[in-house]
Amino acid sequence: MTAMRPHHRGLLAFIIAVGGLLPPALLRAQGGPADRQKVDPAAAARGRTVYAAHCINCHGSSAKGGPNGPDLIRSTAALRDRLGSHIGPAMRAAAGSHPATLTAEQIVDLSQFLRERVEAVARNRTPTAPIDVLTGDPEAGRTYFFGAGRCSTCHSPTGDFAGLRSRTPDALTLQQRFLFPTLTRSEKRVEVTVTPLSGAPVSGTLVRVDNFRVSLRDASGDYRAFSRVPGVKVEIRDPLTAHRDLLDEYTDDAIHDVVAYLWSLK
Amino acid sequence: MRIAAALLLVVLVAIHADAQGVVAPSALTQPATDSWPMYNGDYSGRRFSPLMIVNSSNVQSLSLGWTHRITAEGPAGGGGSTSAVIKGTPVVVNGVLYVTIPDHVWALDARSGRELWHATWPSRGGWHIGNRGVAVLGTSVYVSTPDCHLLALDNRTGKEKWRTEICDLDQFYYASAAPLIVKNHVIVGVSGDDLDIPGYIESHDPETGAMQWRWYTHPEPGTPEAKTWPSIEAMRHGGGMTWGSTTYDPELNLIYFGTGNPQPVINGRKRQGDNLYTESSVALNPDTGKLAWYFQSSPHDTHDWDATQTPVLFDGTIDGEPRKLLAQAARNGWFFVLDRQTGRNISSTEYVKTNWTSGLDAKGQPIPNPRKEPQVDGALVSPNQAGGQNWPPPSFSPETGLFYVNATRAFSVYYLYENENDDKPQGWGGNDRGGWSEAMLLGLDYQTGKARWRFSWEGSPTTRSGLLSTAGNLLFAGDSANNFVAFDAAQGVPLWRAGLHASITNGPITYQLDGIQYIVVAANDTLYAFAATAPAGQP
Repeated sequence: MTAMRPHHRGLLAFIIAVGGLLPPALLRAQGGPADRQKVDPAAAARGRTVYAAHCINCHGSSAKGGPNGPDLIRSTAALRDRLGSHIGPAMRAAAGSHPATLTAEQIVDLSQFLRERVEAVARNRTPTAPIDVLTGDPEAGRTYFFGAGRCSTCHSPTGDFAGLRSRTPDALTLQQRFLFPTLTRSEKRVEVTVTPLSGAPVSGTLVRVDNFRVSLRDASGDYRAFSRVPGVKVEIRDPLTAHRDLLDEYTDDAIHDVVAYLWSLK
Repeated sequence: MRIAAALLLVVLVAIHADAQGVVAPSALTQPATDSWPMYNGDYSGRRFSPLMIVNSSNVQSLSLGWTHRITAEGPAGGGGSTSAVIKGTPVVVNGVLYVTIPDHVWALDARSGRELWHATWPSRGGWHIGNRGVAVLGTSVYVSTPDCHLLALDNRTGKEKWRTEICDLDQFYYASAAPLIVKNHVIVGVSGDDLDIPGYIESHDPETGAMQWRWYTHPEPGTPEAKTWPSIEAMRHGGGMTWGSTTYDPELNLIYFGTGNPQPVINGRKRQGDNLYTESSVALNPDTGKLAWYFQSSPHDTHDWDATQTPVLFDGTIDGEPRKLLAQAARNGWFFVLDRQTGRNISSTEYVKTNWTSGLDAKGQPIPNPRKEPQVDGALVSPNQAGGQNWPPPSFSPETGLFYVNATRAFSVYYLYENENDDKPQGWGGNDRGGWSEAMLLGLDYQTGKARWRFSWEGSPTTRSGLLSTAGNLLFAGDSANNFVAFDAAQGVPLWRAGLHASITNGPITYQLDGIQYIVVAANDTLYAFAATAPAGQP
């Protein structure tokens, strides 16, 4: 930690003179992302070839280990490695089971490949392949749409859902929009009526609400805001309320069936 | 001008030397009302203050005493930039308030908010998600850094006394937790959720920084608990981080904390079993680091529901018998009341409606429904990944007998990704997406587990505000619409409100100095200190 008084920088000379503060402490060398190599894709690709030729039989196709070799993604030597600094000596220390013919350049390439694998695992909370949500039965989804789900109360395959698939980027997006709809692409809005302490009720499109204030735009476009003091009545009409209530009712099978049905509406 | 400024500084230094004295260990076991000497205010984790200058009869007169905006410039190094959001709880001792964000500690005059010193740490990386605050003992201020260091700073200057590494950045660990002082131990946990690494908590010597003990959050091979993993390798790479807050019972000489999610995080197909001691409330001896008991709140979690929420300690009555209790509102949506001597479950109740369990087992642990584990085509799960509750601290009032939690009811869809759906999943291998949520403030009766009152936060999908209750029958809480609100703690009725420039981002604290009671809370980069003066003739 270095101590600073940002609001007294003009006094820095004085402070140092009286010994009130010391200059910043020097950092000792240590590991960390700051000196971790940036993956060079070309070197990593060469390293993959080296790996396939010399390492894959024991350490496995994805470097996660096998019956005869440890997991390299979880290996401390691999994680601490900087361009061969640790894996080179580790291989030489176990020379009997590791190729002695690898050049220094090949070891660097191997290091780049392993680093690429580690980074891929560390980032895999993000998908790298499409998510396939089309596992349901479209016919069962149709039955649900017109039956238990009561979807047809508000929606129609030939009305608002005509051409739905052409307006939807992919089935995953469709599943998300079905479960958690917003009014972003709709002409519908959340409407509110406020009855003030005195005067007539005021209705309009909700702008913002919390427990203490509410605001709206009325039909003429005027912004109206109210404090929610005792006696003020606020009535909110949200077209999505029914969807939120359904979250407690859906089964996962029904979700997959409805998505399969909706995706079939070309 | 320069001379005048220099004279002013001399005066200030003199005041500081007087104010920033030594913090004795006894100040931690019996905190004075002029302080908030540790993350939770005291060892119990109740975040309850006996102060009552401000109370439910006069809270309308609470007004702004001071504000302080922090500014932190420059990149933090390898692990991304630091955003100036105060997620920690300030610590107040001897009239000085210490507040943090990752890589930064400020000492402020607790009466005025004026800065005394600002210490910065040149980071080498680690995830800069947040810092929970400092611990103070003697003349030292202890803080952890994202790049895996525990630091001791001089409380008068912010100058470094010692540093020690507490984790390995190369294995993708980082640190964010507030250390806890127990006797001659500085106890600190670690974080890290990218690779499959074991969690642990450790203790250091307050004078030298030397490590005293480390306790891994997995069992020893060969024990019955080790059978909750398919292999020793899976167990030793099984996660269970310790980034929440730790509480302490001096009579039982036990520390309590919750452990985080198992790893791989989302794809749990190759770590079948309960995966102990992840997702558990655990009790350790603070002198040895030996395990006394555990209770697992989410066996075989696959939803990232770290059980790191504060284990709150209080004495109560169960079925007519006095009991030493521990209560936790866990991220998985369940409220657990345990006997803190034995760890035995007294009750398990949903504090928000959830959809992921198929009941409770004989030990009171929720049984996960396999159909609500993440699926390739998605599983609709409640709560979502952020949980029914997360790191914002709860509160318990012995006056009302209510456990307060700022809760969220949320849905999202959990997906399993093909990119790690192989013979050996690692990392996360999935995630949740999308959702809908609503936030509410709950007063839970610890004897029944049921809400005695519920206040819905309108227009707030969720909230990141911690809670504070006081003997003045007040409960302080925030929503996500920039409101900071004082409630009647018994009834759950809002009595006072301040509209801030942003929503609350930490747990509020209170302390009394010179007959003035302060309530201090953070909204992003700004501390707001609300203040009320004792009526004439009262201390």
